[in-house]
Amino acid sequence: MATHVETLENGLKVILRPIPEATALSTWVTYRVGSRNEVPGMTGSTHWVEHMLFKGGGKLGKGDIDKFVSRLGGKLNGFTHTDLTSYFTTLPASAMDTALLIESERMRNAAFDPKEVDAERTVVISEREGAENEPEFAVEEELWALAFQVHPYHWTAIGYKQDLARLARDPLYEHYHRFYAPNNAFLVMVGGFDVAVAMQHIREAFAPLRPEAPPEPMRLVEPEQAGERRSDLRKPGAADLLAMAWHIPPFVHEDTPALVLLATILGGWRGFTPFAAGEWRSRSNRLYRALVETKLATDVTVRNEFRVDPSLLVANVTLAPKASLERVEEVVNREVERIRKGVAAQAELERAKRQVRAWYRYEHDGVTYQGMLLSLLEVLASWDAGDALLAKIEKVRGEHVRDVARRYLVDDARCIVRFHHQEVPG
Amino acid sequence: MILPDRTVLDNGAVLVSMALPTNPFIAIRGSVPSGVVAEGKDFGVAEFMARLLLSGTRRSSAAKISDRLEGIGATVEFHNSEEALVFQGRCMRETVGPTVRTIVECLTESTFPPKEVERVRGEILNDLRIEADDTRHRALRALSAAVFPRDHPYGRDPKGDESRARAIRRMDVVDFHETYVGPESMIVAVTGDVDPELIEEDIAAPLSRMRANGRVAPAVPPLPVHRPRASWISMPHKSQADIAIGTQAPPRRHDDYYALHLADLVFGRIGLFGRLGRNLRDEQGLAYYAFSSLEARTAAGLWSIAAGVNPANLEKAIRGIRNELDRLRTDPFTTEEVRDGKDNQVGSLIVSLERNAEVAAELHRMEYYGLGMDFLERYADIVRGLSDDRVREVARKYFDPASCSMVVAGPVGRTRVAL
Repeated sequence: MATHVETLENGLKVILRPIPEATALSTWVTYRVGSRNEVPGMTGSTHWVEHMLFKGGGKLGKGDIDKFVSRLGGKLNGFTHTDLTSYFTTLPASAMDTALLIESERMRNAAFDPKEVDAERTVVISEREGAENEPEFAVEEELWALAFQVHPYHWTAIGYKQDLARLARDPLYEHYHRFYAPNNAFLVMVGGFDVAVAMQHIREAFAPLRPEAPPEPMRLVEPEQAGERRSDLRKPGAADLLAMAWHIPPFVHEDTPALVLLATILGGWRGFTPFAAGEWRSRSNRLYRALVETKLATDVTVRNEFRVDPSLLVANVTLAPKASLERVEEVVNREVERIRKGVAAQAELERAKRQVRAWYRYEHDGVTYQGMLLSLLEVLASWDAGDALLAKIEKVRGEHVRDVARRYLVDDARCIVRFHHQEVPG
Repeated sequence: MILPDRTVLDNGAVLVSMALPTNPFIAIRGSVPSGVVAEGKDFGVAEFMARLLLSGTRRSSAAKISDRLEGIGATVEFHNSEEALVFQGRCMRETVGPTVRTIVECLTESTFPPKEVERVRGEILNDLRIEADDTRHRALRALSAAVFPRDHPYGRDPKGDESRARAIRRMDVVDFHETYVGPESMIVAVTGDVDPELIEEDIAAPLSRMRANGRVAPAVPPLPVHRPRASWISMPHKSQADIAIGTQAPPRRHDDYYALHLADLVFGRIGLFGRLGRNLRDEQGLAYYAFSSLEARTAAGLWSIAAGVNPANLEKAIRGIRNELDRLRTDPFTTEEVRDGKDNQVGSLIVSLERNAEVAAELHRMEYYGLGMDFLERYADIVRGLSDDRVREVARKYFDPASCSMVVAGPVGRTRVAL
C-alpha cells in the first residue's frame, strides 16, 4: 500500500496512508513515552497525563474534544502502555482539520487545571480498583514485578495505588512537557484524503510547535536472570491461574520471526495488536491440545509481549476445577521440552505461518485498525516492519523455531506465578 | 450509497452481502433462531450446543476442524444469545469456500462427541464460577433477572445454572440441535472482498445444500411484569463495587425506538458517557466508567446504567445517578444536546461502518429486524425527523427511577441506599 513518510523541521514524523475509496480517516498521534519512562514514586504518571489530555487547553475548552468528535459521529480514545502513549480520532474524511486541531493543541497546550488534576485522581484510582477486581490483574502485576527487578517494566502502566494517591499536579505537568513534543512523537493518518492536502494541513497545525531536548535514552538494563523465580498468590477467586514467562529480546531482534512462530505453535496467533482477535481463541495449537482438550484447563493463551526493550513470552492458563497447578505446570514444561527438543512438522509450521499471514490482513480491517498497527510497529521498529517481518517469517524453518526455544525457553530464566484461588467469602 | 444484495435461497436461508473493496478479506456474520428462547424448560441446552459446534462432525474430529480452519488462516466462532445461535467468521477471498463449507458442516453434521460434551460441561461450570466472582457480571446478570423475572429468556443466564450444567445430557443437545438448527430463518451476512460470482459459487451454493425440514422459529414467551426492586450482593474481597440500574424498554421495531436510542445516547453515551459521565466521572471523579445502554430485541429491550465505583463513594454515585434521572424532568435535554446527538448518529454511520466486521453485523441486524435493505439510506432522515420534544418525552417515559431495578455488587458493607 502506498505510504508517504515525511519529517517536519521540528522533528514530527508524519506517516500517511491514503485510501481513496475510504469515507473515514483515522488520525493517530503517538508519543514515545510510557511507563518505562517513569521512576519509582511516580508510577502511573504517564497514564494519568493521558487522562488529562482529554480536558482541553490552548484553543480547546474543557469538553471541546468530546464535543467536536461526537458531533461528527467520530470515535476517539487514548492508550498508555509501557513504551508508548497513543491518541486516535476516527472521523468522516471531510473532518481532517478537527483531528489536527485536537492533536496539535494536545501536543503542547494541555491545561492541567489543578482542580481537574485532582478530580481525575479518583478516576484513575477507580480504573485501577476495577482492574484489582480481576485475579488476572494481580497475576500480571506480580509476573512483571518478578521478571524485571531493575528495568521499569517492573510495574504496569496503571501504576501503584500509593503513587496515584500522592502524585501532585506539577510533576505530572513536567512529565507532560518533557515528553510531549513533536520530536518525540509521530503522526499516522489512514483513510480518505489527498496526500498533498493533508501535508499542507499538518504543516499548518504542527510546524509552529517547538521541539524539546530529546529524552535521555533508556539506560536501565535488566541483568540476566540466573535462576527461576516463583511467586504463589493466595487470594479469593474462582479458579486457579498459572502464568509462566520467559525473557525474550526486543522486537527488532533477528530472532523475532522465529519467536512469532514459536508462540503460534505453542498457543496460537491472535495478531500483533491487542484488540484484533476479540474473543476468538485458537484451538489448533500444542497447549490447547495438551491442556484444554484433556480437561486440565478451560483456557490457555501464549503471547510474545513485543517491546522496545527485552521483554517476555507469556503463557497464561485458567485451570479446570479439579486440576492441580503442579500437574498443569508439568504439562506446560513437557510441551516446552518437546519444542526445545524436536523440530516441528512441516504441516504444523506451515499452519502457523498461514495463521500469522491471515491475521496480518485481518489487522488491516478499516482505517482505525490500520492506524493502530502502523503506530505500534513504528514504536517497536518502523511503520513498515510488518511486511518485512512477514517476509522473514516465511523463511523460518523448523530448526530455527527449535533453536529459539532452546535459547529463550530456559528453565533458569523463567518466572512463574501461581494463583491459588481461595474460597470467596460468603 | 450502494444497497446490499439480498437473496432468499430455496431452503429459506437469507443471504445478504455487500462488497467493501477497501478491506482485504471477508467477514461473515450469521444466525439461526436457536438461542435461549428456543430452550423451553431445558435451560442451558442452547449454550451447550453453541459451544459444541466446533467439536466434531460426522466427517471430522474437533482437531481436524480446527486444523483445517487455522490451516487456511480462517476464524469461525459460534455463540449463544437470548434469541439466536450467532456465528461469525473471517477468511480470505481464496479460502471463503472451505470456510463456509466448514460452517455448514458444523451446523448440519455435528455429532456432539461424549468426551467433548464433558469438556464443555467443565468449561461452563468454570465460567459460571468465574462470573460469580465478577462484580460487573453479577450486577448486570441480577439486573436482567430482576427486569425479566420468572426465568424469562431475556432475564436468565444463557448458560443456565450449576445444577442445569451438571444435568444436561448429550441427547438433550442432539435433540435441540435436530429440532432447531436448519436453514429456515437462517441469516448470513457477508462483506469485504466479495463479488457476485464468488457469492454464488462459494457462499450461496454450500448454504443451499442445507436441507429444510419445516422447522419453525420459536416465539419469545410473553413478557413478565417487572416489579422494581433493589438487591445488594456482598463481595467483600473486591476493591470496587458495580452498580447496575435498569428497566424494560420497547422492542426494536417499536415506534419509540429511534427517539429512545437518541435519548440514551444523550443521557449516557455521547462523548465521555453523556450527562451521566459528565456528572459522575468528569465533575465528581467518582467512576472510571458510568454509562447507559439500550439493548433492543424482538419482543422487548433492556435499558440500563452501569457504573464502577469505590465502595466509599456508593452513596454519592447513586445520588448522582438519581439526580441525572430527575433532571430529565426538571432540566430536559436542550435543543443543542439533541442536535449534537443527532449529528453524532448521522455522522457515526460513516465511522462505525469502516470495518468489515461492523458492516457484516449491521447487515445482519437489518435483515434480522426486517429494517429493509435501504435502511442505511433512510437512517439519517429517520434521525433528523425526530423532534426535540419527542426525545425528551421518551426519556421521561422510560428513564423513570420509579420503574428501575437496582443491583449493587461488590464490597458493599452495610451501605444500603435507595435509588
